[in-house]
Amino acid sequence: MNNKAKIDCVDHESRTNEKAPSVAVESVSAEKRQGLFEERLPQLIEIAPRVLRCRTRRDFLFFGAGAIAALAGSGFLLPQDTLRRMGARRTVDSPAKEWFLNRALRIDDDVAEALYSGNRRVPTYTKSQTTPLKNNYNGATPDPGYISGWNLAIDGLDSGLSVSIDIRNLMTRFSLQEQITRLVCVEGWSAIAWWAGLKFDDLLRAYPPMSQAKWARVESSVNLDESGNPDPYFMSIDLATARHPQTLLATHFNGQPLTVDHGAPLRLLVPVKLGLKNVKAITKITYVAEEPRDYWAERGYSRYDGI
Amino acid sequence: MSHSTPPANEPNSTSMLLEEPGVLVAKKHHLLVRCSHWLNVPILIGLILSGISIYWASPVYQHKPDPTTLNVDVAADIGIWICAHVPGLDQYSSPPDWIYNHMSLGPGMLALALRLHWLCAYSFMLNGMVYLAGLFIGGGWRSLLPRRTDLFDALRMLRYYLGLPFAKLIRRKWLHPRFNTKYNALQRAAYFSVPVAGCLSVATGWAIHKPMQIHWLAAILGGYSAARIWHFWLMWVYILIVVPHVILVFADGWDTLRSMIVGWSTRVKRPEFTANEQ
Repeated sequence: MNNKAKIDCVDHESRTNEKAPSVAVESVSAEKRQGLFEERLPQLIEIAPRVLRCRTRRDFLFFGAGAIAALAGSGFLLPQDTLRRMGARRTVDSPAKEWFLNRALRIDDDVAEALYSGNRRVPTYTKSQTTPLKNNYNGATPDPGYISGWNLAIDGLDSGLSVSIDIRNLMTRFSLQEQITRLVCVEGWSAIAWWAGLKFDDLLRAYPPMSQAKWARVESSVNLDESGNPDPYFMSIDLATARHPQTLLATHFNGQPLTVDHGAPLRLLVPVKLGLKNVKAITKITYVAEEPRDYWAERGYSRYDGI
Repeated sequence: MSHSTPPANEPNSTSMLLEEPGVLVAKKHHLLVRCSHWLNVPILIGLILSGISIYWASPVYQHKPDPTTLNVDVAADIGIWICAHVPGLDQYSSPPDWIYNHMSLGPGMLALALRLHWLCAYSFMLNGMVYLAGLFIGGGWRSLLPRRTDLFDALRMLRYYLGLPFAKLIRRKWLHPRFNTKYNALQRAAYFSVPVAGCLSVATGWAIHKPMQIHWLAAILGGYSAARIWHFWLMWVYILIVVPHVILVFADGWDTLRSMIVGWSTRVKRPEFTANEQ
């Protein structure tokens, strides 16, 4: 086909290597114009063996340095248990590693926050699409005794007062909104459930937070650990998310008042966040200016959890 | 200028070149392609190890609880089976964790696995851009495009690979199919699939990671739960490509492996070329 191919001399390499020049030889078809998608013939280079050896050595040194860096990096980043299983004798658990991994997590949180839009509604479903929702209390399920004397305390208000409301009061003063949305767990499973509750935004309008507040600390004092000891659960929610039209303080599940399993009598339902932000059996909401502590962020998870 | 032989006397060549005749090498992989190729090794290992750790927290493939062990996870079943049947593993302390202890960071470390997964995932996306930049700057993308003849040629290659061990055994000549392109059809299919799988992994990953803000993406993929299954099986695409890839590179020889480090190959002759060098 390409019988009269001309080989042009193009000196690419000698500029960088004046002492030992090499010559590039390109095959260019003079007769046939090649289509954009057509594979080109490889570019041939004639090169002095000494230069070639030199470059090969350089490239292999870079490659080796990269391989060592990758090994050192994985030794630094992998969990100690994993390394021990792989046969490592000495492992380091440095604060630098935590800092580095948290830094990566922070970048992901910033991306999530940039993606968030207060106007974007999450998909809603029909009642026939609902799926079973398991009781995923992180510890033991609390004894229902707390429900009879339950009050929601609100702090950090513009009025400077502390407010305490019981569930009857909440349900009569605010209109309830029904919502069938997906709850997504950090573990990966999800469930579509039928909820009803008051809009967090309505509560924020009825009891305006202090002007400098940017966060809500939502907590449950009835949360228990695995052995049944008190283990208060507290979550940070940015007020932008709290004001989302689908962020509810849920009172009903499947058309019935919430059961203990699902956080009776009032739980947070924030479909734009992971399930772990959906605090069950809320006892107190505090509006604060600085980002409050967060139960799972202190255990190595994200603090923003936007999905 | 029209030479029929490579020039021996360039005006600025030194006596060095005259003493030592030059070597002819073919440019094969752009620097950015080589960098991203090797960076993919730790990144993909990190993604798979942390990914299986994340899978452990809520396995996609589950069955009704086993009456005796209460186990629901198919991966745990496989671990139990391995420990029961592989010699020397009958004393293994936690058979249900065998898979996770050997193919992931380990069970019960979701928080850490997630952080590592995000770190590797962002690196993977950046690295993918480096790769694409290298493909386009170096022009290598043309060699990856599927062709009309690929299906037939791929079958020819497959026949060659399947017959090779048998031919070796009976000491019969078994010729490698001839082709005048950088890659054969099977290679092209594999190397074209990797960036495609990369894009799909990134898309399914975002669909799982942000199922509310980018809910349309999950919807395209058949919903949030389907996106998780896609994401899981895409991992197997890499494993299924990488394993034969590594075996064949070693079988093919030093020049092929070296070319991914240094960028050039001493194999300058292709059938089309041979015809030109009268």
